[in-house]
Formats: sequence, structure tokens, C-alpha cells
Amino acid sequence: MAANPELRAQVEQAIEQNPVLLFMKGTPEAPRCGFSMRTVGVLEQVGVEYGAIDVLPILQPLREVTSELSDWETFPQLYVNGELLGGCDIVEEMFESGELAEALGVEQPASTEAAAAQPAPASDEPYQSPPMQIETN
Amino acid sequence: MIEGALPGAEVEVLDEGGGDHLRAIVTAPQFEGISRIDQHRLVKAAVRPRFDDGTIHALSLNTSAPG
Repeated sequence: MAANPELRAQVEQAIEQNPVLLFMKGTPEAPRCGFSMRTVGVLEQVGVEYGAIDVLPILQPLREVTSELSDWETFPQLYVNGELLGGCDIVEEMFESGELAEALGVEQPASTEAAAAQPAPASDEPYQSPPMQIETN
Repeated sequence: MIEGALPGAEVEVLDEGGGDHLRAIVTAPQFEGISRIDQHRLVKAAVRPRFDDGTIHALSLNTSAPG
């Protein structure tokens, strides 16, 4: 069955208008599948703004559209600057290698573990001399 | 099935739940120089019949070129 041309046009427009666009099951606040949840988690760690589309209400017609557009039918799908980067696996792999931050034009977060483990950066506050000491003879 | 479509590939398949959520770790010379998404497309095409007949519900992939 050919993909619905109206839906395809809408999808193409969304991909064009959003530098980072995630097709996912559910919403970023309430993902409805583990893979979608993990992809949202990665995007949040990288700290980039992104558009999100819940595919569940239009799942089958949308599969037909993305199959035609990108030869890919499973979700989540992350599009960056108009191109399909991949699903959850690829996004996670690229995040760990630093390729995702590069593709998104942002700085790689210092650590993929909790930020609390990071050592404090060197201070550039002016040197403060110790409080005056008064010697009593 | 993957080895059939990609001769020379090293494939490891893990069951991640229920027999129909699988993870395939594939290293294949055919992956050299192509994007991850294209690597995944090759594997997906190889296992297509299992998706179509419902044997596989979800397939996680880790692909890489050898060396």
C-alpha cells in the first residue's frame, strides 16, 4: 500500500522545520516504550532542544511513510538536519562515542555518569590572602 | 539468516526477553565505510521474514566493521 501523500507531506515538513526531530511512542514526559524512553534520556543528557512526535495514534500509516522516505519502519527514529540518524541503538552508541554531540553541534557532556562525579574545575577567582594574623609577643 | 545474507559476518544473538525481543551483535566486513543506519538496514533486510511472520517483535542491533 502506498503511503498517504498528505501524511508524507506533513512528515517531510516536520523533518525540514525541526533541526532535531524525534518520532517516538508516547511523549518525552510519558514515553510508551523502553526504546523511546532511552532515546529521550540520551537527548536530555546531551541537552539539545528537539521536537517530538507521538507516533502511536498514526502508527501504521506513519510506518508506510517512513518506509518510503527512509527505508525504516520501526520507532523511535531520530532525524537530525533532515536526515534519519537511526533508532535507539544508534543514538545510544553515537552518544557514547561523542558522535551524537558532534552531529547536533553541541558539546559532549563531561560524563555519561552522574555529573556529581566530575572534579570541580580550577577556580579563577582572585587569590584571597589569608586573614590577618596578629602575633602577640 | 544474517550470516547467509552477509557472508563472513560474526553474529551473536541474545534473547532480551520472551524470545521475541532479541539483540544481535554483528561484525561484518560489508559494514566497512558505511553509516550505522545503513549497517542496520542490511541486517534488517536479512531478517525481514522473521519480522513479517511475527517471530521477532523487536531487534536491538550493535553493528561494527571488523578491526
